[in-house]
Amino acid sequence: MSLFRGSLSYVRFFVTGDLPEAFADGALAAIQRKVQRPLEPDDDELERCGWCKVGEPFGLELEHMDVFYNEYLNLGFRTDRWAIPSALLKAKVAEAEAAYLTKKGRERLSRKEKTELKELVAKRLRRGLAPVVRAHDVSWALGESTVRFFGSSPRAHAAFVDLFEKTFALKLVQEAPYTLAARLGLSRAQESEWQAAEATSLAREER
Amino acid sequence: MDLFERVEKRRFLGRELLLFLWFETELLEATLSTRATGAFGLWIEKEIALSAGKEITRIRGALPAQAREAKESLLLGKMPERMGFRLVRGEREASFVLRGDTLGLSSVTLPSVLEDEEPPALLDGPPAPRKRKPRERSVEAELEQAEVAAQESFFERMHLLREVEEVVEHLYADFLTLRLGPAYGAFVASTIRAWAEGKAPDADAYTARKKAALGPAPKSPRVKQG
Repeated sequence: MSLFRGSLSYVRFFVTGDLPEAFADGALAAIQRKVQRPLEPDDDELERCGWCKVGEPFGLELEHMDVFYNEYLNLGFRTDRWAIPSALLKAKVAEAEAAYLTKKGRERLSRKEKTELKELVAKRLRRGLAPVVRAHDVSWALGESTVRFFGSSPRAHAAFVDLFEKTFALKLVQEAPYTLAARLGLSRAQESEWQAAEATSLAREER
Repeated sequence: MDLFERVEKRRFLGRELLLFLWFETELLEATLSTRATGAFGLWIEKEIALSAGKEITRIRGALPAQAREAKESLLLGKMPERMGFRLVRGEREASFVLRGDTLGLSSVTLPSVLEDEEPPALLDGPPAPRKRKPRERSVEAELEQAEVAAQESFFERMHLLREVEEVVEHLYADFLTLRLGPAYGAFVASTIRAWAEGKAPDADAYTARKKAALGPAPKSPRVKQG
């Protein structure tokens, strides 16, 4: 799914609204403000998204030449996520609960204590793990108001749209039969036909 | 009807585009054209997936649309949701998968246009001059050159990708003109049905009626910005 090599799988988004004047300067500063901050074990967030260099998930110092490729703006959309194997977490939580009960000389834990213990154990485990890092290439053809996001997960699409809109203060519309039709230009009559259209079926009629 | 409904409740028109392309690639023997592009080669290859609700039929192979169960599925009420295509335009070939519900492209393979710097040796030609051993460059220079090559490759890929997208957009624009106009009820829908039922519609008559229905090519590019 890379922008630079191999086959391409992507989703297109259309940018609505015009780019402000001196866009490049403002955009770079806006991108730098939303560069990925790697997750730390003690962070409250379990997942975080931010920008990185295109094709370099660990390239977090972005300069003009890293981002602007003539009429394109290229970025990496990076997501860091803690992924603790559930069997490991379960076993360690059970151990911690048993130890806590023994220490307190009790037989049961309250709901609050259970939650706190689980959180504590997860935090400790995170110190010995590294977050899972995923990055998707993003290419914005500035002259065409089109953004290509190289990834197929709807969850990643939603997180990407959120970060893009927060970074650039521009709205994105995902490509779909209607959004592309509107972009190609529907006449008033076609628009009304669109609304009245019924799905074609070639199913043989029962006799 | 609000924007959400226009998007979500009419996604079937993307699937109908796939059906239309399947029909045309067969009827017109893989030589399609649009008002904006002229003729090009387009056929279905590698995969086709048809569905109705949760029932899905996936067919893989060199020419999946020709499998018996492909049209059988249509007649059972399934519609194409994803299709693999090969596009041949001039000397360039590309392949891609088009999804009906989103009109998104995936698995796009592009032709390689950047030529090797060295022309191939001619069998009967004069002996090629001896090459000098390239001077060794510093690591920094090598990296810089690799970066320039990556950028060149990126621009080339984007240019070629845009060409593929444009063909799909022109096909869609022509399809919409037919689908959202009187032509669909007059002859397009019935010709597609006849084709699906295994009859052999008259390709020349269809082409002539289609040409008349589409009219001349739009004078200016239709894609709206922003």
